[in-house]
Amino acid sequence: MTSIKRMLADTSGHDAITSKVYIRSAKSGKVTKIVREIYLRTDIPCSSRLCRVCLASAPVDSSNRSRPFILSEKPAGTVAFRYGHYLMPDTNIFLQCMDAIEHKSAFYDVIVLQTVLDEVKNQSLPLYNRLVSLTKSDEKRFYVFHNEFRQETHVRRGQEESINDRNDRAIRVACKWYQTHIQQAVASTGVKPPAIVMLSNDRDNLAKAKSDGVDCINLHDYVKGLANADELLDMISSSLQDQEKKSTRGANVYSEYASISKMNTGVRNGTLHQGTFHTSTYNSLEGTVGVPSFDKHLLIVGLENMNRAIDGDLVVVELLPQDQWKRQSDKLVDQDTLTKNENADVDEVESIVTEKERKALIDEAKRIQRSQDEGQKVQPTAKIIGVVKRNWRSYVGHIDPNSVNRAKSGGQQVVFFRPLDKKIPRIRVFTRQATQLLGQRIVVNIDTWDRNSRFPVGHFVRALGELESKEAETEALLLEYDVQYRPFPKAVLDCLPSVGHDWRVPEDKSDPDWDKRMDLRDLLICSIDPPGCQDIDDALHARQLPNGNCEVGVHIADVSHFVKPNNAMDDEAAQRGTTVYLVDKRIDMLPPLLGTDLCSLKPYVERYAFSVLWEMTPEAQIVNTVFTKSVIKSREAFAYKAAQMRIDDKSQTDPLTQGMRILLMLSKRLRQARMDAGALNLASPEVKVHMESETSDPASIEVKELLETNSLVEEFMLCANISVARRIYEAFPQTAMLRRHGAPPATNFDDLRSQLRARKNLDLRVDSSKALADSLDSCVDPQEPYFNTLVRIIATRCMLPAEYFSSGTQAYPEFRHYGLATDIYTHFTSPIRRYADLAAHRQLAAAIDYEPLDESLYNKNKMDAVVKNINVRHRNAQFAGRASIEYYVGQALKGKSMEQEGFVAKIFSNGFVVFVPKFGIEGTIKVESAKTYDADEYILELEDGKKVVLFDKVNVQVNFVKEQATGRRKTELTLA
Amino acid sequence: MEGLRNDGRRWNELRRIHCQLSTSSTNADGSSYIEQGFTKVICNVTGPAEPSNRQRVKQDSATVSCEVYFAAFSGTDRIKRGRNDKKVQELQTAIQKTFDSVILTHLFARSEISISIHILSQDGGTLAACINAATLALIDAGIPMSDYVCACTAGQSTSIFDQEGASPDPWLDVNYLEESDIPSLTVVTVGDSEKIVALSMENKVRIERLEAMIAVGISGCARVRGIMDKEVRRYGKEKLEAEGE
Ligand SMILES: [Zn+2]
Repeated sequence: MTSIKRMLADTSGHDAITSKVYIRSAKSGKVTKIVREIYLRTDIPCSSRLCRVCLASAPVDSSNRSRPFILSEKPAGTVAFRYGHYLMPDTNIFLQCMDAIEHKSAFYDVIVLQTVLDEVKNQSLPLYNRLVSLTKSDEKRFYVFHNEFRQETHVRRGQEESINDRNDRAIRVACKWYQTHIQQAVASTGVKPPAIVMLSNDRDNLAKAKSDGVDCINLHDYVKGLANADELLDMISSSLQDQEKKSTRGANVYSEYASISKMNTGVRNGTLHQGTFHTSTYNSLEGTVGVPSFDKHLLIVGLENMNRAIDGDLVVVELLPQDQWKRQSDKLVDQDTLTKNENADVDEVESIVTEKERKALIDEAKRIQRSQDEGQKVQPTAKIIGVVKRNWRSYVGHIDPNSVNRAKSGGQQVVFFRPLDKKIPRIRVFTRQATQLLGQRIVVNIDTWDRNSRFPVGHFVRALGELESKEAETEALLLEYDVQYRPFPKAVLDCLPSVGHDWRVPEDKSDPDWDKRMDLRDLLICSIDPPGCQDIDDALHARQLPNGNCEVGVHIADVSHFVKPNNAMDDEAAQRGTTVYLVDKRIDMLPPLLGTDLCSLKPYVERYAFSVLWEMTPEAQIVNTVFTKSVIKSREAFAYKAAQMRIDDKSQTDPLTQGMRILLMLSKRLRQARMDAGALNLASPEVKVHMESETSDPASIEVKELLETNSLVEEFMLCANISVARRIYEAFPQTAMLRRHGAPPATNFDDLRSQLRARKNLDLRVDSSKALADSLDSCVDPQEPYFNTLVRIIATRCMLPAEYFSSGTQAYPEFRHYGLATDIYTHFTSPIRRYADLAAHRQLAAAIDYEPLDESLYNKNKMDAVVKNINVRHRNAQFAGRASIEYYVGQALKGKSMEQEGFVAKIFSNGFVVFVPKFGIEGTIKVESAKTYDADEYILELEDGKKVVLFDKVNVQVNFVKEQATGRRKTELTLA
Repeated sequence: MEGLRNDGRRWNELRRIHCQLSTSSTNADGSSYIEQGFTKVICNVTGPAEPSNRQRVKQDSATVSCEVYFAAFSGTDRIKRGRNDKKVQELQTAIQKTFDSVILTHLFARSEISISIHILSQDGGTLAACINAATLALIDAGIPMSDYVCACTAGQSTSIFDQEGASPDPWLDVNYLEESDIPSLTVVTVGDSEKIVALSMENKVRIERLEAMIAVGISGCARVRGIMDKEVRRYGKEKLEAEGE
């Protein structure tokens, strides 16, 4: 308190005041003028280590610390700037060339002006975040100079001046000021002052800078003077390089986007619709947009109507007239067959539709004519007239060898990049290293997609390594699913207890750590996990009570004791959201010291835990629930199988084993109650790999055998999660961290229901999870035992994904978890590997008055941001895990060919999808020309008279071949 | 970043304060005008006088009443706040209670001192500006108080400024944008005694951060007092010189 007062005795540092006028337009269309004050000052340092003046007057915070100066004493020089230079890029440089700027080999000592930073923020939040993290790392010496608040560099907008011109002028003024300032700083020392170099691609701005006597250069010329110019030039956004050509280019192939105001008005008054665009999995010429005003998705057919939208973009669509409405295509169309022979170099495509595409569309139209009586299956179609928000990211893939001109050595050429994600179109890339990049896994960013270009245009970011090599493919899939896999930075590791592995629960119970913590070290607690599990999140105990009831305890690793809100480790964990399990690798959410040691509830040692203690009747009815932080000592860490054997061994009568028997008995009752309430059992052992089960560890994919002890653990975890969910919702009705699973709309099952009716004369009832669970049980074919599993797999795909949410964003009935048949649910039991659980721990700790709740967990907006991120991370982690399995299966079976039993899971007019249970994989088989196709009976007759019938067993030849489109091993199926 | 707030101030800096006494030529006994940043407030004081309402009469002391009016154009959205608006009522009560405890009311039994405040522009710290304006107007009216009543706001900034573990600095005298973004409180002190007569909070504040925020607020009040005192002395001197001639 005293230190703060001392600080306040200082005189104020601002010297002048000006005001800034903002025009704000509200959603309602109202325009308001807002005037804000700006305090101009002279104590904002230049942050150059050459400068003594600024150092002497550097401002301090309440603890009397000032920030270290950033810009180097001896910055690197180039040919043009012999005595070293500080760079001062303008906004567009950051917007267009961030990849190059982040490169390790160049762009050091950079002054980021406040004007520029604000403009970047307004233009692109992702790029802004990348720029901010550059300014935060010590490595590249990026300094944010608040030029708008420094008296000498503040610039007032002139009467006739546009905002852009004013900002350009602000950059030049700042540049000039720095130049003079640094010159003065070194004047007495005899050191040659480094140049302040304005980096811009704006000719006008460059010319003005020259006449002001400011050092300036355009990016291209600057990079050319650097050591590894070729690589850096490739990374510079292609839009710069294209700029010259643009005017001379050919006709437009796509229609122009509507203006933002037209789209806004249209969406508001209901004539236009806004939604997210998704490309169809089976047909790259077709996509859908889900909009609020229609039950069914709107169909977008053909590239022209897709109008440059890419999967995930937020778009505005216009409905097409009803006579153009269509059925969803039942044809398989992939990019490969459509654009096999196209040349990346050719821009002057006269028409957007190639011959092959036209043929595909005509076939489609004919088919519709034939089936016009089936009016109910026709879907409304629409055309995309504008993109509100692009979903562009970095794409992993490889260069199409056919698009490379090998004869051409050196110099720039245009090649096709094929993304791994098949929903993303091919990307034209300008490169000087085409031949070196062949056969490499590379990363590319999209820059633009102009009306006159058939494909989007992008630029090379970096190479990961050779195709199919383990390292490159693993990194590729981590990048593709945006998994943060870099080692934990020092700032994160600094948050760990300094004693490291020597950390112990304090012996002295008067230690503050023991406050409000229950001593449960006497309880006979054990953990049951997959074999070899290192990060033990949970442990259990049970014992008989004198009154005939049982006491059951679920003890969860007390991660929130070690990870405090808002420090670097918490930020990193929140960003990562979840631990990602690949076949041979685990990417941790928390540093391993915590995950596998200090937090892990290892046997024989004392650990902190967060315990849920119930009193249950022998019928597994909960009589009483207590939540408490605790100290426990696990007596044993069992694998599922070892635990099962211990329980089954009648000769074991020690209290621990008896406790486990109580747990097993209660878990069976809990399970029965859950099933009676309508919980779905969609997972069958063979397809476990593909399922999301609420608690099963993803590493358990190899476990084919499901033991009673698996479900023992699962039942109590579900029970703990539900109890915690109720408690934190009661304490924080607006921001409790919960998880819900929406009931799937009945229309999701339309296809499956009509298929089952047509083929097997079965009726699938979907009006409730109970009805679905029961009618799935009755979907059996006495001749084919696998049929039931197949139907369950297909039904699972009709479900909605479960999601995290903050309780204030949904009405109570929407909290329901459909799959588990419970009215409320959360994740509490795996805080080592899921951030949601950590958040729930903090909320529960606050709910029981253990500690105050961090602001971020009762602030609605902050909770929404956390929830949004972990939902994405959770989904990506699952995708990455599956992709990793797929890669390993492919590598293991490389070059082999075998005949296998498969089942027809889907039928198209020109092919069908076969599911092969043995490997848990599926593949499509295309049929060049089918004799007949019966869409109602789901029968495809091949040329040789053979009939392919939905749900039937077929024998297929399975090959693992390298797929042209992705450069990855894929299953290829042919009829045996 | 550089520890600068969105208007270029550092954590411990007040906004520009401009204040004036005897601004009104109406029949008020005292008046004042204050600008703190773009928050602008006019205050008129009448009394001690015969109470307008018989029921308000107190036998042994004066009654302090307060009325607050928001100009429709004062905020960014044109909201009309009527007499029964919750915000208006809260402000009136806070101001009335504060001054009731500071004015030497026992000197004026059976009379009324009424404070009327017009808020012309809101840019954060409305309550603080109202209280400061009222202090000046009461001085202008010559109503005895134990000392200057000064108010200032402090906010719990959320940006992590520097190293791990260190709490970010509290922000002194929050502007409108800050006020809508972070939790803040208004501290009211009497004289330079650091005696707090009122503390107002509209949002939840972390208990660990509270002490530092109050400390900063108190120091802010001391600086506000210095500025107001200077203006009162300047005005007094000017008045004396005018009378001397
Ligand atoms: Zn300097």
